[in-house]
Amino acid sequence: MAELSLKHIDKIYDNNVQAVFDFNLDVKDGELIVLVGPSGCGKSTTLRMVAGLEDISRGQLLLDGKDITQTPAKDRDMAMVFQNYALYGHMTIYENMAFSLTLRKENPNVIHKKVLAAAEILGLTSQLNKKPSQLSGGQRQRVAMGRSIVRNPKVFLFDEPLSNLDAKLRGATRREILLLHKRLQATMLYVTHDQTEALTLADRIVCMSMGHVQQVGTPLELYDQPANLFVAGFIGLPPMNTWKARVRDGFLEGAGFTCPLNEKERGTLSSYAGKEIILGVRPEDIQLGSDVTVLVSNNENLGMNTLVHGHIGDASSADRKIAAKLKGWQDYKVGDHVSVCFARKHFFDAETTSAIRKEG
Amino acid sequence: MSDINEKEIRLDRMRYVKNTASSRLCYLAILLNVFYFVSIYKSDVGSWYYQILIGASIVYNLLFMLMAFLSSEGVKNYQASYSKLLYALGAGQIARIFILPLQAHQAMVKVGGAEVAVMGDGQFIRVIIYLAGSAACLLAAGLINQRKCAALAGHLKTLEAKEAA
Repeated sequence: MAELSLKHIDKIYDNNVQAVFDFNLDVKDGELIVLVGPSGCGKSTTLRMVAGLEDISRGQLLLDGKDITQTPAKDRDMAMVFQNYALYGHMTIYENMAFSLTLRKENPNVIHKKVLAAAEILGLTSQLNKKPSQLSGGQRQRVAMGRSIVRNPKVFLFDEPLSNLDAKLRGATRREILLLHKRLQATMLYVTHDQTEALTLADRIVCMSMGHVQQVGTPLELYDQPANLFVAGFIGLPPMNTWKARVRDGFLEGAGFTCPLNEKERGTLSSYAGKEIILGVRPEDIQLGSDVTVLVSNNENLGMNTLVHGHIGDASSADRKIAAKLKGWQDYKVGDHVSVCFARKHFFDAETTSAIRKEG
Repeated sequence: MSDINEKEIRLDRMRYVKNTASSRLCYLAILLNVFYFVSIYKSDVGSWYYQILIGASIVYNLLFMLMAFLSSEGVKNYQASYSKLLYALGAGQIARIFILPLQAHQAMVKVGGAEVAVMGDGQFIRVIIYLAGSAACLLAAGLINQRKCAALAGHLKTLEAKEAA
């Protein structure tokens, strides 16, 4: 059992810079939570506060109901995996994995069993006599994870563990972490700036910006129902297209386009009649149709899809930019006109940037 | 865990854990040898024993330390052949008691008109302790390494047989 609760956590540095504002989160036992956001948003700071490597300026941290806000890092029963592996170069893989237990003066035979079990899980059995310098980046990261596993901690903390790996290895190691989580059923907190990692790994995602939590939810919730414009733009690749538009008589009028609203959308925007809102459309929700004309500026074939970049209408101003992921292999030339429609629309309040949801 | 299981795990650990016991005994032997030659060189009273043997002794001490250090690295990785070298070095340390210290202890030299032993009783006992201690460490290191190597080889054979089956 390992339930983690972060209650009204603030982080204020000595120079009065506040890195984290009123962070609240309840992590259930066995849950994998991913903290995602751009650089400097406070996600690593939050993780380090949980680990005990940073002081918590305000708020409470509870582990299984016990207040550990002031507990030293070594007594928190948490294991952290760092981006740079933090392995001892002069020790073998076996010694690296056994190190924390050796420091605790555990029975050598017990250490041996734990190390072999962890190595078996991570596929490192044949590498145990090697030094870290003899392993690939992915294998080194697995050793770092193995070092955490042998401790059998209540909570695993990962601080951008895949950032040092190349794209192919990152994908493979990501799948290994997922399998590891399923096998161990452990509570994990994972920090990344990579939304693909967040979407593929997380049970729930915490999206952060400028020290504030923007949204907490399942990957699908964040993708499908972003709470605000920031989440909408951060989650999804390529990011969501956004344009200012005015709600008028069952239509949305924007720069260079007018598109009809269906009954459900009209209901959602009922209190915005005549007002300006922000329309968001994911590139993959754009289909060939007849609502909007796009002037093509670039055509990227991705195999199953084609990513078309262009501008709405004929003008090429920044507020008319559009990216559409069209099905199949398309061969549009620069200057071609393509007619499209929006299969799914997201609406955001122009002032607060919060998502507009149907009332009731 | 049963005793048999404990024994098996202890054997299996040798696949990944270095033979630090033998290695540390080698370091201790080197240290005792350093004590020995520091104490013997400082007692130079102009005796011919030192004039004749001092060069050879220095060379031997250097060689001894090199070989003992190499052995310590060898036994750390369970290399059985280093046990033989350690036995030889250990025997050499015992033999050294009878070469320089014993002869120096029995020899007399005139200092200020009076005849005194080149190596007094106190110093003689001290260097014997150093050399004998060094020899004991080397022999023990060799013996431990030999036994561990045999046990590890047997364990690896068992594992191979299990894998083959």
